Amino acid sequence: MRFTRRTFVATATALLAASVVPRAVAKGTGMIFVSTEKGNEVVVLDQSLAVVKRIATSRRPRDMHFNAAKELLYVACGDDDAIDVIDVATLEVVDSIPTGPSPEVFAFSPDEKVIYVSNEEDSRLEAIDMETRVSIQDIPTGAEPEGVLVMPDGKTAYVTSEVADMVHVVDTTTGAVTKNILVGTRPRRFILTPDGTELWVSCELSSEIYIIDTATNEIKGDSLIFVPPGFREEDVTPVGMAVTRDGSKILLSLGRANHVVIIDGKTHDVLQYVLVGKRAWSVDLSSDESKAYVANGLSDDITVIDMASMKPIQSVPVGRVPHSVVIDD
Amino acid sequence: MTKLHRVGSNLLYGLLPLAAALFLGGAAFSAEVKIGYLGLKDDPRYHPDLVYTRIEIAPGGNPIDGATMGVEEMKVVSDAVDQQVVLDRQEATDAASLVAKLDEMVKAGEQFVILDLPAELVDQVAGQTREWPVTLLNATAPEDYLRQRCYPNLLHTAASDRMLSDAMVQLLRTRNWTKVLMLVGAEPRDKAMAAAFRASAERQRFNIVGEREFTLATDPANRERNNSLLITGNADYDVVFVADHQGEFSRYLPYDTQLPRLVVGSTGLVAAEWQWSWDRDGSTQVTSRFETLTNGRRMTGQDWSTWIAAKAIVTAYAKARSGEYQKTADYIRGNRLKIDGAKGVQLNFRPWDGQMRFPIVLATHNAVIAEAPLEGFLHQTNVLDTLGTDEPEHKCQ
Repeated sequence: MRFTRRTFVATATALLAASVVPRAVAKGTGMIFVSTEKGNEVVVLDQSLAVVKRIATSRRPRDMHFNAAKELLYVACGDDDAIDVIDVATLEVVDSIPTGPSPEVFAFSPDEKVIYVSNEEDSRLEAIDMETRVSIQDIPTGAEPEGVLVMPDGKTAYVTSEVADMVHVVDTTTGAVTKNILVGTRPRRFILTPDGTELWVSCELSSEIYIIDTATNEIKGDSLIFVPPGFREEDVTPVGMAVTRDGSKILLSLGRANHVVIIDGKTHDVLQYVLVGKRAWSVDLSSDESKAYVANGLSDDITVIDMASMKPIQSVPVGRVPHSVVIDD
Repeated sequence: MTKLHRVGSNLLYGLLPLAAALFLGGAAFSAEVKIGYLGLKDDPRYHPDLVYTRIEIAPGGNPIDGATMGVEEMKVVSDAVDQQVVLDRQEATDAASLVAKLDEMVKAGEQFVILDLPAELVDQVAGQTREWPVTLLNATAPEDYLRQRCYPNLLHTAASDRMLSDAMVQLLRTRNWTKVLMLVGAEPRDKAMAAAFRASAERQRFNIVGEREFTLATDPANRERNNSLLITGNADYDVVFVADHQGEFSRYLPYDTQLPRLVVGSTGLVAAEWQWSWDRDGSTQVTSRFETLTNGRRMTGQDWSTWIAAKAIVTAYAKARSGEYQKTADYIRGNRLKIDGAKGVQLNFRPWDGQMRFPIVLATHNAVIAEAPLEGFLHQTNVLDTLGTDEPEHKCQ
């Protein structure tokens, strides 16, 4: 779906009305949302993994996040330079926020007033005011910025540059890059450990995970490499990551090695390698942390992992090139 | 043999005491880094080949653009380690003037020079400068014999003919199209391509049902060699491989073969370092940045090779962070170099022949059909080494 200026106004009005009138809170529907880069849709599945709806979006939907209330789902759409907004209750696209060229990954400020989005094509981290829709900061990065993470205090944002092999540290008050941290080849995504002390960076082409100490912004210890049995190091191309709320387990998708590794969050020991689909990327956990969902970009499916047994339960076809999975539960 | 060469070359280099003093003495690290780019003046390879009635059959465009983009996009890295990298483009007309130019470049502090030259000039320049404190990166000459010269100062970021033909043969093998009719032109480039294809086909135990030389005329006395239907007749084959560097014969060949068979090689399905329609592993962003830089020119395999050469050099400087030539030179050759060439795998150089290992695309005019190594082609150490001359079969000549 592409938004003209006119539909913008209409949907913005609709959204405004929706937010003024109190309505049933769409919490915990149990729905699973999958963005498909070539399908131009967000596929919605229920807990039985049946497809409930295919929501047409702007072109090339990628990263997705709920707002804190989980009423709205935001979807970065790379080929239409927009972040679409889906109403979780009605499963309709209700709005679209214009961005710079080719938005890929984004994060909200803790107060949800600002959205930080990496614009892959023009090498910028853009900060957009959610209310006015105005771009309030446009921070130059190395080429092909991707992973974005805003610290819980909202003062610092981190963004990777896939081409420059570095993590930029951004002061969100001034919009200035305060430090560049050289990491491995083609850094992709972040997770923050629940205590906020460690920022993990997946480096796709050097097969490594770097850990940055958020107190000093220095690299902490040696990088981690996880190679499933029967694979070679160069087959391992880590991208997506997820961490349990207590920080005890961390899941890393290993890309071309077609596995997810579940490791101990403290000792970094491997607990289990889980075989999933082809080119495993984004990973998300259900809120009770009983299941993990993995988007498999080259087999057009998602794999559900049972966290108790650490085994794959099922793979479900979803659509062309699944990018991200999020769960409303 | 190697020792003799070294002595001789050292003597030769002794004639250049100024450069020797500057660069063999381990000068202090300078924050300014000059990367050389040495090309051939008015290189005919980049003319937009105009054929009859000025129809353009080659894209044209000079691959200096790839190197420029490589240095530009790595600027944020160079800045972070306080290095100012500039690209110094030089051109000359023949081997002697190229060597003289290279001497000036080395004396001006350049330690890495991208060569954008046809094979015979790469051979002469690298051969005459083999003991100089400079690493040359051959970015545009695919000839296999350059990889067998074993010049210590020469690396290659152009795909070798053998890499390209191994990629093609892997695809034909998976399709089980192993009976091949070869059509080969009279140009040295055509013969080099054909030789590489024969070697690749032999490795996969293909059946070459015939190898015929085509000519570009309509002379009826020679029609068995210039008529598409006749030259593809009297044989049973799964596919036609055509080696036609100029492209004027091959562009008329598809749909004009005696048997209803596909044509690969110089037309139809073509193996290359890069193709603009490739959309995996961040390649669209690379193509798009290139089009922005060049006002819409589509990125070719040669552009990819100069781009990756520049990226490798800037990365080596940034990661080695040393003023000593040897440290940076060791870094670029070592296995700690893990370059991203928008091909989804880490890239570095083979120690035995200085060739960068990387996947090859197999593309039609507007789609990439496959990327080699294809699934199922395995190797004892690195699957990328299924493309090109592998270590056990490599011989220095």
